[in-house]
Amino acid sequence: MPQNEVVKDLGLDEYKYHFVDEEKHVFRTQPGLSEEVVRQISAQKEEPEWMLELRLKALEIYFSKPMPRWGGDLSGLEDVLKEIYFYVRPQDRMEHSWEDVPENIKDTFERLGIPEAEQKILAGVGAQYESEMVYHSLKAEWEEKGVIFDSIEEGLKNHPELFREHFGTVIPAHDNKFAAMNSAVWSGGSFVYIPKGVELETPLQAYFRVNQEKMGQFERTLIIADEGSHAHYIEGCTAPVYSTESFHSGVIEIIVKPSARFRYTTIQNWSNNMYNLVTQRAMVHRNAHMEWLDGNLGSKLTMKYPSCFLMEEGAHGEILSIAYAGNGQHQDTGGKVVHAAPRTTSSIVSKSISRGTGRSSYRGLAKVYEGASHAKSNVECDALLINDTSRTDTYPYIEIEERDANVGHEATVSKVGEEQLFYLMSRGMSEEEAMALIVRGFIEPIAKELPLEYAVELNRLIELEMEGSVG
Amino acid sequence: MADTAVSSDRVEGVTGVLNKGTVQTVSAFDPEWLRTLRHHAWDVYEKTPMPTTKLEEWRYTDLNRKLDLEALSWPEKSECKDDFEACPKGLQETMLADHDASGHLWGIDGQVIHVDLLEELQEKGVVLMSLREAVRAHPELLKEHLAQEALPPEQGKFEALNAALWTDGILLHVPRGVRLDLPVRITRWIAQSGAAFFNRTLIVAEPGSQVSYVDEVISDDLDAHTLVSSAVEVIAKQGAQVQYVSLQRLGREAFYQASQRTLAQRDSTLDTLNVSMGATTTRVDLNARLLGPGANSDMLGLYFGDSDQHFDHNTSQDHVAANTSSDLLYKGALDDESRSVFRGVIRVHRGAQKTDAYQTNRNLLLSDHARADSLPNLEIEADDVRCSHGATVGQLDAESRFYLMSRGLTREQAERLVVMGFLGEVLSRLPLGGVVEKVTNVIEEKLRQV
Repeated sequence: MPQNEVVKDLGLDEYKYHFVDEEKHVFRTQPGLSEEVVRQISAQKEEPEWMLELRLKALEIYFSKPMPRWGGDLSGLEDVLKEIYFYVRPQDRMEHSWEDVPENIKDTFERLGIPEAEQKILAGVGAQYESEMVYHSLKAEWEEKGVIFDSIEEGLKNHPELFREHFGTVIPAHDNKFAAMNSAVWSGGSFVYIPKGVELETPLQAYFRVNQEKMGQFERTLIIADEGSHAHYIEGCTAPVYSTESFHSGVIEIIVKPSARFRYTTIQNWSNNMYNLVTQRAMVHRNAHMEWLDGNLGSKLTMKYPSCFLMEEGAHGEILSIAYAGNGQHQDTGGKVVHAAPRTTSSIVSKSISRGTGRSSYRGLAKVYEGASHAKSNVECDALLINDTSRTDTYPYIEIEERDANVGHEATVSKVGEEQLFYLMSRGMSEEEAMALIVRGFIEPIAKELPLEYAVELNRLIELEMEGSVG
Repeated sequence: MADTAVSSDRVEGVTGVLNKGTVQTVSAFDPEWLRTLRHHAWDVYEKTPMPTTKLEEWRYTDLNRKLDLEALSWPEKSECKDDFEACPKGLQETMLADHDASGHLWGIDGQVIHVDLLEELQEKGVVLMSLREAVRAHPELLKEHLAQEALPPEQGKFEALNAALWTDGILLHVPRGVRLDLPVRITRWIAQSGAAFFNRTLIVAEPGSQVSYVDEVISDDLDAHTLVSSAVEVIAKQGAQVQYVSLQRLGREAFYQASQRTLAQRDSTLDTLNVSMGATTTRVDLNARLLGPGANSDMLGLYFGDSDQHFDHNTSQDHVAANTSSDLLYKGALDDESRSVFRGVIRVHRGAQKTDAYQTNRNLLLSDHARADSLPNLEIEADDVRCSHGATVGQLDAESRFYLMSRGLTREQAERLVVMGFLGEVLSRLPLGGVVEKVTNVIEEKLRQV
């Protein structure tokens, strides 16, 4: 396998993006979280009064809610939060063309391995550098179609009615402790509106990275796919490695209006000291389709359960989830589907790989409310264990209040089969190559749904991670 | 008994009846070791908070609404003697159905009133007796096993309460190599409404022995909130084969709480079947521990709910040793506004390689207002394992029903047949004489009301 040679040079096994830019921030708050910090953030962003009030109320809710005791180990988090800067803004103005983007950020993209030409083809790239969108361009044809792809701050400024109508309706601040935190201190993220009937061929993409030590990132994304529209949003992220813990807590709200189709793809490869606690939820209306494609490869601990709330008849939700837990990592991921209307359908497919001392947990909910007749839901979880120190868990919740519903859950846990390995090795492969091939085959059903460049990257990553996994 | 109460409102679960004074009264004639054990259990009980729905294990069963400890009285001493004719009619009926047996034990309101055992088995050293009696007759066995490795008080609030307050129970001891061809049949009848009953069962099967044990707890509908607490410890030593069956057919108003733990040692087979048909609220905690290589546990469960019945089965399969296997199948049908919760976890401990563990929960909803929650969990810390679980919730298979109706059955008959077929799968996996008929009868009776 000659391509392995190339891949090894990237040094993904250690950590691919282990580099640090010199900090150049203009404004930042005091470390820790307080009413003062929230007021400062809101003032810096020149927000309307209602948003400040919403933030302050959310802060109260945040303080009133206890730390979750389920899922991953959050015992070290309280100390981390005391040290975090809740807001850092690198620049005062938004960039509109590639030429205007500062050199050090371009440099970052270079090192991320994204060619400039490709970025231009994948138009509408919003790059989130530190806490804010600093780079934003939108293809002319989309502008013509009336698509809005702004930073979340711009969204609030430029489209106040549309923003206020939908913000916080899918994930209110009291949903959970970290949603409350995000609602109080959110900064950065995207605001997307796809008008009625508009179909986008090329996906909307946002790259962003966290760059400053002890800096929390509280991205907030609000997406409205209007009736009959069709779009795909892709978000991928990477962060440099630091010795102290890092923290990321995002909130992604999506409203999929009748007959619209929306897919949200996210691959996270945070460095291994990151706490990544994200709430992602879509409200799916009549005959609309929502798909979450969720890849979790990095971070120290990720707790993320993309959800589809199927609110009206004929709504369909799909969640494809893939997790890789290497040494010291815990991926606590999964998905939730809530059937609140008749003839709604959903499926969750989850694949996880645990290696070394890694632990991957599937945690999911399939709920059918009374009256959601003819609802159908299917959940499949497969876990692959590489070493005898790896761990995997499956925690599905199935709550059914409707007789006329069909819900099934299945999970299997297995080891890479000795017979499979033996066969491949008898055909001339090394044990590592064989292992990588089997693992690639295992994640194939999900990898094939990814855009090409992500699929390639994922496959390379798997190969590299499998190095040294045997023997 | 209430007059000796130590008033302590601040401690959760301590009432005018359930208190230290009652522990003292219950243990008045106990030997020192047992009195110490009870008091220790009581201390643990006081220190253990009452489970709330914030705990994963109690997420769907709200004790605040389902259990009222304050309302419970201490049972009166039963008038019943060892006299078949004097027994309540419901008890007589069920006892008559139990003629094929190695031995019988009957209890009324928590007191054992009758024990019989085939003479040849007595000669071989098999012990079947009231636990109260065993305290005197077999203290060493009890000291070693009673509320020790299997269900110590530290296991939880109810385990501690039972260990402190049990009034009577059953000891079954099968010596090395002794095999019982026929099941041992236990019938426990509850006659008094409004009281709290605490019973314990200890089964010890020595190496190479074999026994089937059927425990039936039964009552008419009760007039007031009644707690029936049952702690069951089953130990299968090397190569032993044990089948433990629990049939719960309590009447309405009963809160049935059972803690069961099975310890399967090397090469043993320890199978269980829990049939939950009665009671207003049923909570069964079953923990199967596979402790030695070659140990195997089949775990079967069956429940059928109607009216506002609530069933909560909380199971765990602990694979502690390598080369062990377990297979769980729990099936239930739910009618009216009944509700079931199944929470099961397979835990493969570090080093328990070559584990085969399976877990399946299937639910049939027969009414618009029934509800089924299923939480089949896996926690795997070894890599060379085969584990899977599945859970389904669905309605009656329309095609099967249609087929049967096309063959001339009425809709009701067809539905009954489909439900029987659905539940029958569980019984067919543990075809124990008498049990299948009994359970089938109860299901049919329930179906007639549908």
